[in-house]
Amino acid sequence: MIRQFTLVVLVALLALFSGLSQAQWAPDIEAWNSPQPEQAEAVVFRNATVWTADEAGILENVDVTVRDGQIDAIGEDLRAPRNAIEIDATGHHITPGIIDAHSHAAILGGVNEASRISTADVRIRDVIDPESINIYRQLAGGVTTINLLHGSANAIGGQMAVVKLRWGDEPDDLVIDSAKPGIKFALGENPKQSNWSNDTPRYPRTRQGVAQIIREKFQKAADYQAAMDDAPSGRGARDTVLPRPNHELAAIAEILSGVRDIHSHAYRADEMLALMELAEDFGVTIGTFQHVLEGYKIAPQMAEHGVGGSSFIDWYAFKYEARDAIAFNPALMHQSGVLTGLHSDNPELARRMNLEAAKAVRYGQVDEHEALKMITLYPAAQLRIDDRTGSLAEGKDADLVVWNGHPLSVYSRVDQTWVDGRRYFDREADRRMHEALEKERQELIAQVLDAGDEGDSDASEPAAAESDEPDTPGMRSFAAHLTSGMPQHTHLHGFTAHLVGYRPSELSHDDYCLFHFE
Amino acid sequence: MTTTASSTSSEPTMNPNKVNTLKFLLLLLALAVLPASAWAKTLVLTGATVHPVSSESIDDATVVIEEGLIAAIGTDLEWSADAEVIDLAGLHLFPGFVHPATQLGLVEISSVAGTVDTSEMGSINAALRAEVAINHDSYILPNTIAGGVLTAHIMPDGGLIQGTSAVVNLDGWSWQEMVIRTPVGMHLVYPAAAVDDENNEDLKTINRVLDLARHHHAASLAAAEGDAAPPPRNDQLEALAPLLNGDQPLYLRANRYDVMEAALDWADEQGFENIVLMANSDVQYLADRLARDDVPVILRNVYALPTRRWEPYDMAFVAPARLAEAGVRFAIADSGGGMDIANARNLPFQAGSAAAHGLDKADALKSVTLWPAEILGVGDQLGSIEVGKRASLFAATGDALEPMSRIERVWIDGEEYDLSRDHGRDLYPRYRERNATMQKR
Repeated sequence: MIRQFTLVVLVALLALFSGLSQAQWAPDIEAWNSPQPEQAEAVVFRNATVWTADEAGILENVDVTVRDGQIDAIGEDLRAPRNAIEIDATGHHITPGIIDAHSHAAILGGVNEASRISTADVRIRDVIDPESINIYRQLAGGVTTINLLHGSANAIGGQMAVVKLRWGDEPDDLVIDSAKPGIKFALGENPKQSNWSNDTPRYPRTRQGVAQIIREKFQKAADYQAAMDDAPSGRGARDTVLPRPNHELAAIAEILSGVRDIHSHAYRADEMLALMELAEDFGVTIGTFQHVLEGYKIAPQMAEHGVGGSSFIDWYAFKYEARDAIAFNPALMHQSGVLTGLHSDNPELARRMNLEAAKAVRYGQVDEHEALKMITLYPAAQLRIDDRTGSLAEGKDADLVVWNGHPLSVYSRVDQTWVDGRRYFDREADRRMHEALEKERQELIAQVLDAGDEGDSDASEPAAAESDEPDTPGMRSFAAHLTSGMPQHTHLHGFTAHLVGYRPSELSHDDYCLFHFE
Repeated sequence: MTTTASSTSSEPTMNPNKVNTLKFLLLLLALAVLPASAWAKTLVLTGATVHPVSSESIDDATVVIEEGLIAAIGTDLEWSADAEVIDLAGLHLFPGFVHPATQLGLVEISSVAGTVDTSEMGSINAALRAEVAINHDSYILPNTIAGGVLTAHIMPDGGLIQGTSAVVNLDGWSWQEMVIRTPVGMHLVYPAAAVDDENNEDLKTINRVLDLARHHHAASLAAAEGDAAPPPRNDQLEALAPLLNGDQPLYLRANRYDVMEAALDWADEQGFENIVLMANSDVQYLADRLARDDVPVILRNVYALPTRRWEPYDMAFVAPARLAEAGVRFAIADSGGGMDIANARNLPFQAGSAAAHGLDKADALKSVTLWPAEILGVGDQLGSIEVGKRASLFAATGDALEPMSRIERVWIDGEEYDLSRDHGRDLYPRYRERNATMQKR
C-alpha cells in the first residue's frame, strides 16, 4: 500500500518535472550549446484548424496526435496516447512544415564551384553547416525541410542535399537519405557569365553554347557508362586496363539512367524548351525548373514533359532574362497541370514563405489550400520526399507548424515548429532564451564596469599614461566593443550595413546570390 | 455619417445647382485648355467599405470626387444626375500607399548598367535632383501602381551629400507632370567610420562643404544688398542654401545605432532642426531619444535579418511596434534599392508583418499611408481619404495589407488607371487562354 502510494507520488513528481522541463526548455543562440529538443513519446494538439495539404482538406476543431515522431491520427476528440504532452491549440492553425525546394541557407560561402563548366562531381552535403543561425531563424518561420542547391555559375553544377532542419545535429544527420539524388543545372545569363567580370572567360558565352555543352557532357557520360558496363569483371579484368573512374561523368550517367534528377535554374522559355528537347533525346525527364520565370509561357509543354516548376512568386526585373517574370506564373503553371511549388532562394525570404503562398491567391486566385500545398506537399513531391513529409497524414513524419492564426495571413505568426515530433522552435522558449541572454549581458557589463572602478581606485598601480583610453570604460565604448569584432560589410543602397558576429557560412549577399551566381 | 472638410462652410456636392455651375465652368475650362481632361464629370464611388485611415472605416459608403479631389464622403450623399457612378459593392476603398523612400523610375533592369540611374559618383552631389531622371514610362511603375502604391518619395543616392528628393505620382506623361512636391529634402549619409574617429576624412569633407556653403550664402546675401561683389557661381554650394536656411529638411541616413546617435549629435552641432532619420531596425535602440526630440523616422526594411547574430529572429519585425510604443513618428519603407525597387508593390506587406509582431493594425495601415505623407510634407494632399485631398485611391477585395487581397481598381487624382498596363495583368489572360487552347488540342 505504501509502496503503491510512493509509486504514485513518484509518477506524479516525474510528470510534474517533465512538464516543467518541457515548459522551461529554451534553446541557446549557439546550436552547439542547445540541447536537442526531446522527441516526446507522444504529443496531442487539441482543437486546432488543421490544413492537411492532403485529400482530407482543411479540418476544423480537430486534434492531432503524434507518436514517436510520426503522426498517429487526425480527428475529432482523439484519445490521448499514454504519456502524451497535451498542447491546447484552440484558435490556432496547424499546417505541415514548409518545404523550401531552393535554398543555400546553410552552405553560404560554399554555394558555387564555378571553376569548370561542369562540376557534377561536387557534393553539397560536404559543406553543410548544421549550426547555421539561418536554420534556427527559418524554423521560426515554419520551415522544416530545405533543398540545399549548388549555385548556377555553371551549366552542370554540383549534387544537391535535401536536409531537415535538425539544427545542431551532425551534418550527415540532417540529410534525408531517402530523397531522390539530384543535381543542379543552370541555363541563361549565369552560366554564360553575363553579369560579372571574368578575367578568364570560359565557354560558353551564349545560350546555344549552354545547350551544346550539356549535350556533349551527356554523350560523354553515356560513353563512359557504356565503357564501365562493358568492362570485364572478375578474372576477365586481370588482363585489361579498366576505364579510369570519373566522378563527374559517373554523376551525369546517373541522370541518364534515371537515378538522379535534374533541378535546373532557368528563366526563359527558349532555354527551357531547349533543355527539355535535349533531355528527351536521351530519354530523361527533368525533375524541376528552378525559378522558372517564363514557365507560364510553356506550361503545356512542361506538363507534357512532366517537369515540375519551382518558382519565385514575384521577383522580376533584376536581370534582362527576368523581364517577363510575372507573379501569375505559379497560378498559370498550376492551371496547366504542372507540379508547382514556391521557393525562397534567400535566407530572409525563407522566413515568410506563407506570405509568398498568399500571393498565389492574390495573383491568379489559386485556392488557399492549393496555395499552401505550393510550399508543402508540392515541393516535397518535387524532391520525392512526399512519402515522408509535406502533408499531415497518418504515418508521416511529425513535421508541423502551429500558427496563431490563418497561415496565409500577414497578421499571423509561427508559435511552434516541430520536426520529427521534436519542438525545434517555440516562441515562448525563444523569448526565455533572449531574456536569459540579456541578463547575462547586463551581468557581464556590470562586471566590466566594476573591474574598471577597481583599476581606478588602485593607487599603487602605475598610471597607464601612454594609454589613450578613457579612465573608465563608458557604456558606449563597451557597447561599441561588444559590437565590434570582425564586422562584415555589405553595401546596402548607399550606406553600409554592418553584420556582426556571423560566420561566413551564414552571410547572405543578395548581390552575390542574385546577380552573379545563384 | 458624413465627413467634410472643416475649412469649407458649404458642401458643393450636396447642392446639384452648384455642382452644375461648377461643371459648366469646368467644361469651359476643359474646352479651352484641357480637351482631354477626365475631370469633366463628377465621379461617385458607391457601395464600398471606405477606409479613410484618418478616421473609422465606414460600411457601404460613398466617395464623391470632383476635379481630381475628394469632395465628400458619407453614407447619405446626393449627386447630380450626370455624375459617373461606379458601384463598388463588396470592395474596400483605401487611400493609395505612399512609399516613403525608393528609387522607382531610376532603374529598369538592375543588371543592365545602361538602365540604371540610381547612384552618382563623387562625395558631394548636393545639386543632383533625383526626379529629373525618372523614366515616366518605366514598365515597373504600372506594376507598382497595380499593387496600390500610387505615390512615392524618389531619392537620390551616391556619395555623402547626395542631392534632393521629390514626392511624385507614379503615373504621368512626364516626370514634370508626376512631381507633387520638390525638393523634399537634402539627403546626407553620416559616415559610419566617424563614430570612433573624430578625424574621419568623410566627416571633415561634409563639414568643410557645409562651411563653404555658409560662407557662399553669406557672400551672396551681402552681394544682394550691394555690399560686395557676388561670389563665383557654385552649383553644389548654392544647392545647400535651403538646407542651411532651415527651409529644407535634412534626410539623414545612418544604419547602426551608434552611427545614428553620432549622426543626431552632429546634426545638433550643425544646428539642423528639421531632420528626418532614414534608418534600419537598429533605430529601435534610440526610440526614446527620437520621441523626445520629435525626429521622424523612415524605417527601412521590416523584412530584414537581425544585424547581429545574437539578436532575436524578429528584431526587425518588432521595430515598428517599439517605435510606436515610444511615441516616435515613423513610416515603413523597404530598402529602397536592389530588388526592392521593382517590388515596391510589396511595401504594404511589410506593414502587415509589423502588425503580426505587435504594431496596432490601424497604425500599420497609417505607417504606409498617412504617416509617410505627413513626414514628407504632403499630408495635406495625400495619405487618407479626406475631403480636399487628392483622389488617389484603390478598391481591393479585402484588407489592403493582406497579400491574399486583390486590388481591382485604381484612381490617381480622380482618373481611373488602366490596370491592364501592369505587365502581369497584361500577360496573364493572354497566356491563360493560349495554354488552355493548346491543351484542348
